[in-house]
Amino acid sequence: MTTEPMTTEPTPPASPEDEPGVTFSLPPLPISRRTMLKLGATAIVGLGGSRYIFDSLSRIFAPPARATAVDPLVAAYEPAAHRWGFVVDTTRCIGCGLCVMACKQENNVPDDEEHTRTWIERHVVHADGGLTVQSPEAGINGFTAEGAARIDPGATAAYFVPRLCMQCEDSPCTGVCPVGATYRTPDGVILVDADRCIGCGYCLLACPYGARYLVPAGGRTPQGVAGVADKCTFCYHRIVRGEQPACVEVCPVQARLFGDLEDPDSVVSRIIGSGITTVMRPEQETHPRVHYIGLEREATA
Amino acid sequence: MIRIASCNVPLGPRSVARLVRAEFASFSRPLRVWLGVLTLLMLIGAAGAVRSVFFPGDKGLGTTATFEWGLLIIGYVFFAITTSGLCLASSLGTVFGIDRFKPLERRHAILAVLSLVTAFGIIAIDLHYPVRMVFGAVFHPSPSSPMWWMGVVYGFYLCVLLLEVWSMFAGHRRIHQAACTAAACTAIVAPATLGAVFGVMAARPYWHGLFTPPLMVASAFLSGTALLGVAFYFVHRLRLRSHERGTSHGIPAIRFLLAIGLVVVTILVGRQVVAGAVGGEPGLAEASAAVLTGPLAIPFWGGRVAAGLLVPLLLIAIPATRTPGGTFAASALAIGGVLVDRIIFVMAGQITPMTAVSGVVSAPYAGYLPSPVEIAVLVGAFALVAMAYTLAERYLDLGEKDVHAVSLRWLLRLSPVRRWRTSRPVPAEIRAAATTPAHRT
Repeated sequence: MTTEPMTTEPTPPASPEDEPGVTFSLPPLPISRRTMLKLGATAIVGLGGSRYIFDSLSRIFAPPARATAVDPLVAAYEPAAHRWGFVVDTTRCIGCGLCVMACKQENNVPDDEEHTRTWIERHVVHADGGLTVQSPEAGINGFTAEGAARIDPGATAAYFVPRLCMQCEDSPCTGVCPVGATYRTPDGVILVDADRCIGCGYCLLACPYGARYLVPAGGRTPQGVAGVADKCTFCYHRIVRGEQPACVEVCPVQARLFGDLEDPDSVVSRIIGSGITTVMRPEQETHPRVHYIGLEREATA
Repeated sequence: MIRIASCNVPLGPRSVARLVRAEFASFSRPLRVWLGVLTLLMLIGAAGAVRSVFFPGDKGLGTTATFEWGLLIIGYVFFAITTSGLCLASSLGTVFGIDRFKPLERRHAILAVLSLVTAFGIIAIDLHYPVRMVFGAVFHPSPSSPMWWMGVVYGFYLCVLLLEVWSMFAGHRRIHQAACTAAACTAIVAPATLGAVFGVMAARPYWHGLFTPPLMVASAFLSGTALLGVAFYFVHRLRLRSHERGTSHGIPAIRFLLAIGLVVVTILVGRQVVAGAVGGEPGLAEASAAVLTGPLAIPFWGGRVAAGLLVPLLLIAIPATRTPGGTFAASALAIGGVLVDRIIFVMAGQITPMTAVSGVVSAPYAGYLPSPVEIAVLVGAFALVAMAYTLAERYLDLGEKDVHAVSLRWLLRLSPVRRWRTSRPVPAEIRAAATTPAHRT
């Protein structure tokens, strides 16, 4: 690096007659233009890099989202006093897709069919025991004649199966997360801390129900961040305010029921207590909190 | 040129460029072509990496919601287990002081460091937020997660390997011995934790089970040994440093280890095939059918079984091909076999869909096609390892040096391999044959 000597004496101002419009000139800088450019470029890169690192670190060291998941307006909510449960009645579901639409709107879920928190499947059991599972556009537009295949005339059963995160009591997803970004709240709902998730996809693969997805870029993002895992939260922001999940609220036939399992008089407690419900893939021993009525065959496709 | 304490130090960009040009001019023409090709491939890989790193959520990968782990995970697993295999293969010389395996010592360490750094680079590209991974693993540890343990073990492994390389070139015998011992132990633990990452997932029957970690360790041993086989062939062929001992001792040792690795992996793959075909477990049966008779059948029978296991075994078993060239062919095929095996392994675990794919009636298999970004990154990774190792061979002394202590030699008294413990003189015919490229050893 070469430096030019600093000029200590000010340059005498040029006379107005010699250079019209120029009344004075600045003394030369103590560093060369090249050095100045280098320093500027270094500063820009350094500041940008520092900002990136600072942003990354501040997210990591910030108080975890689990402490702020509850809206201040509902500070009285006591998670430990609840144990949320969900019942899906497949004998009532008409496959209209309103629940899927409501979920996407309420939670800012991406529009496409692959990335969804909830979806509807149609299970058709054939005479030979085979099972056909279909979910055109995640069921958001219903099972119309244009979008869905015709049912085999020889089928022995056909029914709709709304799908969502099972909020398992022994959840594989929380166990495998290497940074604890997926966690269970005291009331039994499994959430994802979008500021801590590294986007490795391990929880997606560990989930036996295929209930998770990585938020793609360029579209709607439930937590404002792309590239992180996302899933159904039972509309946690609603239930802490005493409201029902969006899908439950819009269901026209009450095929989705939600309530507190700690309350023995709640609808879900009474239905589950009656013994008419089953859970999906019980062999996985995940103990789901989503129970099904009329699930004749597990949806393992 | 910069001026420090009234001295002119030639460290300016121009002087460095001049030095590089002068050095490049001293390269032979084949070396220039080789480095040029590698540079081109690395640039392609760098372009893919840049495309992937700066777009979280849209990394240009071919993975989907139903097929989340793709070619980059395959590449990471391959390079990570190869690192362990290199240490496992050379530990007989570095830890136990067995003379026959000493020629592997320096080259394995360099290759292991390069392989592990490359593995870390690939996984960083695959992750959407790699910085969070580093800090999150430290400040929010999750001991219930095999992936967390994998990060811890491989992080420790990298430190140990760097210590091993430093002490090797610095000549610190005791430190080197301790580092080699730690590296050899970690070389078993590391692929086992990597296997556990897959093995704990009950939702993925093809991966789930107690046999996944042993299979990963065995594959590690095989790929590491095979990579040493490729490296030592070029040592022999190009007459690099210590090529005499490499030819007379190194290549036969590699052939011996390669045979062990191939036999063990063949047994474990056979067990996997039988368990999948006759077990009838939901998910496992479908995945095994995909491997044996479905869309993965050609890579499995052609690439994994025939080219990756049987042909290398034949090349090692048949006396006519027990040459450096034959060992090289067997090693190259074994590496390819392990890579194909990793591809099949990662794909078979996800090929049976968990749920209905929208718009598809009972999709029997999930689909995945690697994107150009993924292929570019993996090609660039291979080129990076090759480039760095080429430069290491040129500028570092990778010849055999007796820098290790023999503190664990007492173990050999209990070992059936004791007969290799002592240094034996090279037979005259091997010494003579080592000077001709087409000799048999």
